[in-house]
Amino acid sequence: MPDTQPFRLRTDPARFEVVKNALYAAAEEMKIVLAKTAYSPLLKVAGDYSCGIFDRAGNMVAQGPDLPIHLGSMPDAVRAVVQAFPEVLPGDVFIHNDPYQGGSHLPDVNVVAPAFLDDRLLGFGCVRAHWPDIGSATPGSYGAVTEIYGEGLRLPPVRLYRGGKPEPGIEAIIFANVRTPSERLGDLRAQVAACWRAGQRMAALARKYGADELLGIMDEVLDYSETMMRAALATLPDGEASFEDILDGDGVLAPGAAEDETFRIKLRIAKRGDTITADFAGSDPQVPGPMNAPLTVTASGVFCALKMIADPHSLIPPNSGCWRPVQVLAPEGSVVNARLPAPVVYANHEISHRVAEMVMAAMARITPSTVMAGSQGTSAIMTFGGVDYRTGERYVSYESVKGGFGARPTKDGINGVASTVTNMSNTPIEMIEMSFPVRVEEYALLPDTGGAGTWRGGLGVRRVWRVLEQDSHAAVCCERTVTPPFGLAGGLAGAPARLMLELPDGSSRKLVSKGGFIAPTGSRVVMEAPGSGGYGPPSGRDRAQLAEDVRDGYVTEASAQRDYGT
Amino acid sequence: MVWRIGIDIGGTFTDVALVDEASGRIGVAKLLTTPHDFGEAVVEGIRQGLAAERIDPAEVALLSHATTVVTNALLEQKGARAGFVSTRGFRDLLELRRSSRVDLYDLFQDGPSVLVPRRWRYEITERIDAQGEVVTPLAGDEIPALVEAIRRDGLQTVGVSFLFSFLNDAHERRVGEALRRALPDVGIFLSCEVLPEIREFERASTTAVCAYVGPLLAGYLDRLQRAVSALGLPSLHVMGSSGGVLDIAEALRMPAAVVESGPAAGVVAAAVVGRQIGVPNLISFDMGGTTAKASLIAGGEVAVTAEYEVGGAGSANRWLHGTGHPIRVPVIDLAEVSAGGGSIAWVDPGGALKVGPHSAGADPGPAAYGRGGTRPTVTDANVVLGYLDRDFLLGGDLRIDLPAAETAIATVGEPLGLGVAETAARIIEIVNANMAQALRIVSIERGHDPQEFSLIAFGGAGPVHAAFLAAELLVPEVIVPPAPGAFSALGLVATDLRRDYSRTLYADLATLAPERLAEAVAGMEREGLAMLAAAGVPEQRRDLLRLADVRYRRQAYELTVAIPPGAITRDSIDAVAAAFHDKHEQTYGHANHEEAVQLVNLRLTALGRLPGMTLVQRTEASAARIKQRNVWFSEYGFIACPAYWRDGLTAGTRLDGPAIVEAMDSTAVLPPGWTAAVDEQGYIRMRRN
Repeated sequence: MPDTQPFRLRTDPARFEVVKNALYAAAEEMKIVLAKTAYSPLLKVAGDYSCGIFDRAGNMVAQGPDLPIHLGSMPDAVRAVVQAFPEVLPGDVFIHNDPYQGGSHLPDVNVVAPAFLDDRLLGFGCVRAHWPDIGSATPGSYGAVTEIYGEGLRLPPVRLYRGGKPEPGIEAIIFANVRTPSERLGDLRAQVAACWRAGQRMAALARKYGADELLGIMDEVLDYSETMMRAALATLPDGEASFEDILDGDGVLAPGAAEDETFRIKLRIAKRGDTITADFAGSDPQVPGPMNAPLTVTASGVFCALKMIADPHSLIPPNSGCWRPVQVLAPEGSVVNARLPAPVVYANHEISHRVAEMVMAAMARITPSTVMAGSQGTSAIMTFGGVDYRTGERYVSYESVKGGFGARPTKDGINGVASTVTNMSNTPIEMIEMSFPVRVEEYALLPDTGGAGTWRGGLGVRRVWRVLEQDSHAAVCCERTVTPPFGLAGGLAGAPARLMLELPDGSSRKLVSKGGFIAPTGSRVVMEAPGSGGYGPPSGRDRAQLAEDVRDGYVTEASAQRDYGT
Repeated sequence: MVWRIGIDIGGTFTDVALVDEASGRIGVAKLLTTPHDFGEAVVEGIRQGLAAERIDPAEVALLSHATTVVTNALLEQKGARAGFVSTRGFRDLLELRRSSRVDLYDLFQDGPSVLVPRRWRYEITERIDAQGEVVTPLAGDEIPALVEAIRRDGLQTVGVSFLFSFLNDAHERRVGEALRRALPDVGIFLSCEVLPEIREFERASTTAVCAYVGPLLAGYLDRLQRAVSALGLPSLHVMGSSGGVLDIAEALRMPAAVVESGPAAGVVAAAVVGRQIGVPNLISFDMGGTTAKASLIAGGEVAVTAEYEVGGAGSANRWLHGTGHPIRVPVIDLAEVSAGGGSIAWVDPGGALKVGPHSAGADPGPAAYGRGGTRPTVTDANVVLGYLDRDFLLGGDLRIDLPAAETAIATVGEPLGLGVAETAARIIEIVNANMAQALRIVSIERGHDPQEFSLIAFGGAGPVHAAFLAAELLVPEVIVPPAPGAFSALGLVATDLRRDYSRTLYADLATLAPERLAEAVAGMEREGLAMLAAAGVPEQRRDLLRLADVRYRRQAYELTVAIPPGAITRDSIDAVAAAFHDKHEQTYGHANHEEAVQLVNLRLTALGRLPGMTLVQRTEASAARIKQRNVWFSEYGFIACPAYWRDGLTAGTRLDGPAIVEAMDSTAVLPPGWTAAVDEQGYIRMRRN
């Protein structure tokens, strides 16, 4: 970056840098408190949550190193609390998960706590954490239902703590409606502790620099990110581009149908000067099953992709200010802007994943050197639930399998790693098996799943679970079983996802990409997460590199001949 | 006389410290590191030191060194041709890692390289389940083909890590025995010997790191041992990451244990000094040319962690970002930030002034060194503000180019509309804030109040910045120890022999039978005592410390607490639970006494204690010198300030700030409002009024 002619800050540049870094450090510290004290594997080892510091109006001033999927909607979640509770007091803690008030889907539970210096409100800490179960008919709350009322417990913004003490009534309602309530209590305590840590750090900054100075700098941090983002956008060429993509379906089969019905999202990007508009006009109306995204979820996908494209070396602090130059338009009542009471649970990650990929594909026509080919494009969720034969206790297991990260204009993709909107970790197999009555029988890269190209796509991943001793109430949520992740600039597509149920009698059947099913004792559930697309024509592949790929078994001899013409 | 020698082989300098056991007298030699053959600088440094202090090699009782060989091999990807054997279906464990990426938004990032290429990852049919029972017996008939493949691929080492081997190691050991018998020249590392702990990726990674660096470490230690033997010196010890030294045989059994050798030595030196001067609570602060490191010593105990990644992009963030290779061995708990004398200041497009993470390094170095550097560094700001001498450093060996420093600073000052001194002051303010963050991580974030600690500052630049950091964190005292510029080498001569053992033992404390715990601990203690006996540690100097990693039953991360010494009874198990609740409350702000507490890992530290000694800074009145210069302090701007030569500051000397204390290897800044006293052993104790 050039270091001449910069924007002039209102605050002293050294003071600004010091306080800004302290706010981001506080958001990171929240993350550590949460991970180290939470009870469910999904939070403590897989990291399905985001932490942030917010101003008094609910703008996100600092996001921890968490999940991009929450960029767009967390500010609205805090704003919903601000609107519902204009008067907040020290010791208050609020909770809510309503997708129609800034939430994302019901399992994502927001805990929000105000920060004070004496009686002066400084802002809020918020932790959004994915609970492995939030009620509903299906363990893990991933059933293919047709109304949000069937998706689990929906909490509008309510006061969870008063004067630093839990409100017993609210907690009683919550724990009567979720499976494994004692585990949820541990998670909830961890979320509250993380929010309080944010409050302590903000109060300490206000004490040291003065509340006015802190609040002024919080405002300016937003302006600063906006300035940086505008500067980054201004360096990209102007232009317009469209992209249209097909999604697998919503998990609700029409009467008599054997296959789920696909649907479409349309995107038109217009980039002018230092602003950009993403317009989803023409996308399909909302669908019966839970593949409907609230607008903020759609926006998260747009923001994530634009951050990677405009700021490819990740220099701009992620916060609400970044998105001021970005407009996201989508017709109300569509799959990308859901209207109550549409169900939403899958859309949170599946639509935002896809939207991020589509922004990459459209922007490839405007700025081909800072985009990547299609990644796995799905969170590839598998849940198991029931009773553990070893203990007689209920369990809910929730895992996300990672496939390929798209090939870049100057580099191969990455094998088996989280991409775009998500960044969850896997759960160690040894912890899965000690906690849940399943055995993982395979976890390995899948040869030939990375799209061929001058730069090869990242490989997909195969994970196989065997169900032990008792039938399991399982559910799956996966995309890209129909349309594979796209290649760019002549690169080929990656391999699509595959989902199978292998029964003990040796027969097997394909699973529908979304919804609950019974996995009988002794059966094997197979998930193959997609590979990613390649970049540039396969003929441009360095032959020595291709030979290395074949030696390592990333590419088979057969594929080398077929796709690369050796 | 009896002497001990410590050698710290750093990236730029090799420091040799020689200490007389009886008087605590210190001699130091500093040479440029010789990366093509580290032994060259070591031998030359020892020679110079022996000559300067007139020491007969026969008088040397202990020779310890710290090395960056293991870390460098990983950073530069220059390890062995190593293979990896897994349970069938899991050959890619090392590549799949934890499946998260390093940076959320960096489009062009890559994950860390995998230590074992896919072509050398082998599978064998076998499976143990979560209860430790055999589900699929080991397919012994597959072993000959495995042996043949390893031979065909010409591998130097092989790591073996099967699922649930921490519960039942029978399969892993059978494969290990067969490979060792059939391939006597191939180094075989078994995960059940290296790290019998839960979490398959972390265990496999630790095993793979051992296999990857083992041959290189063996060759290096062999060469160095021969070089020092030729000087008539005793056998060599290596600093381990957890703050003790190992003999060569132990280091080769567990190469992952010596990764953070150098930084650990500095922290150990701080702990030794703390015991000597009666200050049990210390924050150690080590600042060099490119990074600054902080660590905590509470009640005399150095803090260690079992969560560490080696060969990554550095630990500037305390959240493990997945840039390196995890090793689950105890490592001294350091927070490291990219902030040093060479860190470069710049202005970003949003108008914010930044310092680092890029460093001017040793070449071209800061503009003030006159070696062609043009970008403004922290050292340049220190020169402009007068904290460092504006004419010469290193006792006159290094000439300072003040106009070059000013020109460099102006390149960032002009776009901000600031003058040179104002800009320099802000550069220092920012670098101090970055470093304060490292101090905050090891203290406030871990639940410790900095007001109850003293800051001990070392590394060439540490004492320049220490008082400002102390003021920021409300630490009441700064201690400048002897030879701060070679302080890590001093730690090496005062370090006990140490080896850490661990094994997983899952059990709820409430129902754990004392006999079961006693049996497990006794087994580890036998192993530890055998190691100490083999290392020739006399019985009265052997010590065993038992620790337990415990957590609330459904948590994923443990806290480590002590198991009381003596016979293991119900009371000692209850004491472990009580200690855990207290530590959870202190660390995270809440505890849940109703929740079941679960034992996860047992840890044993075997120590061979060294006789204590006193480290002394030599001073004499005849060396006294005093100069005057203008120095910048934020409350006053530039004010006249005396600069004293440390060698002349004898015991009992008192100074009022502002003052500067200069020495051959380091400069200390005493701001206004601070006073300093020189104690009996020559330590400078600075306090805020």
